[in-house]
Amino acid sequence: MVAVALLGAITHQTLAAWGSAGARPGSFFGRFRSIPSASFANAVVVLYAISTLLGGTLYLYFRVDVRPELEHAGHWHALGFFDLKEHFAAIGLALLPAYWVCWRRPLASEPVQTRTALTSILAFIIWWGFLTGHVANNIMGFGS
Amino acid sequence: MTSSAPFRRFAFAFGATFAVLYVIALAKDLALFTVFPSLGIVLAGTHHSRDVADPAMGFLAPAMYWYGWAATAALGALMVGLAAASLPGRSAQSVWSGWVWLIPALSMIACVYLTLPWFRL
Repeated sequence: MVAVALLGAITHQTLAAWGSAGARPGSFFGRFRSIPSASFANAVVVLYAISTLLGGTLYLYFRVDVRPELEHAGHWHALGFFDLKEHFAAIGLALLPAYWVCWRRPLASEPVQTRTALTSILAFIIWWGFLTGHVANNIMGFGS
Repeated sequence: MTSSAPFRRFAFAFGATFAVLYVIALAKDLALFTVFPSLGIVLAGTHHSRDVADPAMGFLAPAMYWYGWAATAALGALMVGLAAASLPGRSAQSVWSGWVWLIPALSMIACVYLTLPWFRL
């Protein structure tokens, strides 16, 4: 639930950030931009922190019970993708303060590209983590 | 807004520095501590399974370094962030704000490079 809510919030915010400011009010991007994107920032920070905490706890179980099975079955690519997920997740966690500042305490002199890029990086990390986690979870029927 | 200026400097410095230090910790295997989940123990520093068990029995004591790498990077980034927060505002104005996303993006690419061995197996 936390991951799905996080996906929704960051995806909405990213699309709104990338959408043209001149989008027609009734268009797809126009409707996205009509909702203040900054209002998602607090939710993204809290949900990301909770997701990382839960993921970090489940990771102990993964390392002991799941990863040896994946190694035994030779799913090296899946393990590589999962390693990237943990690296990206850590970098994303450390970016949260800067991300929050850019959205909630923006400076007039600060280029909007900074927060757009930060939001895009976080969106990439979150989607990567979601998809990789599902693949690692489902590849051998774990959790079923 | 005045009180948020030091926090802004801290946040930007912390995010960028963490990304760099995490890649260094990953490349050099510099974990602040190592977790052995099956044994329920945490040892300070980097310890490989072969250090605590016979190599043939290493699978019984899988080691986890991710928490330790993140802690190493967080500790270093915290110090840099606090130093940045204490700087006078004028000195930070000349720093390009784009570093806060460019450095992590480059660090993520470095992580991909360091993970490539998995894809050659």
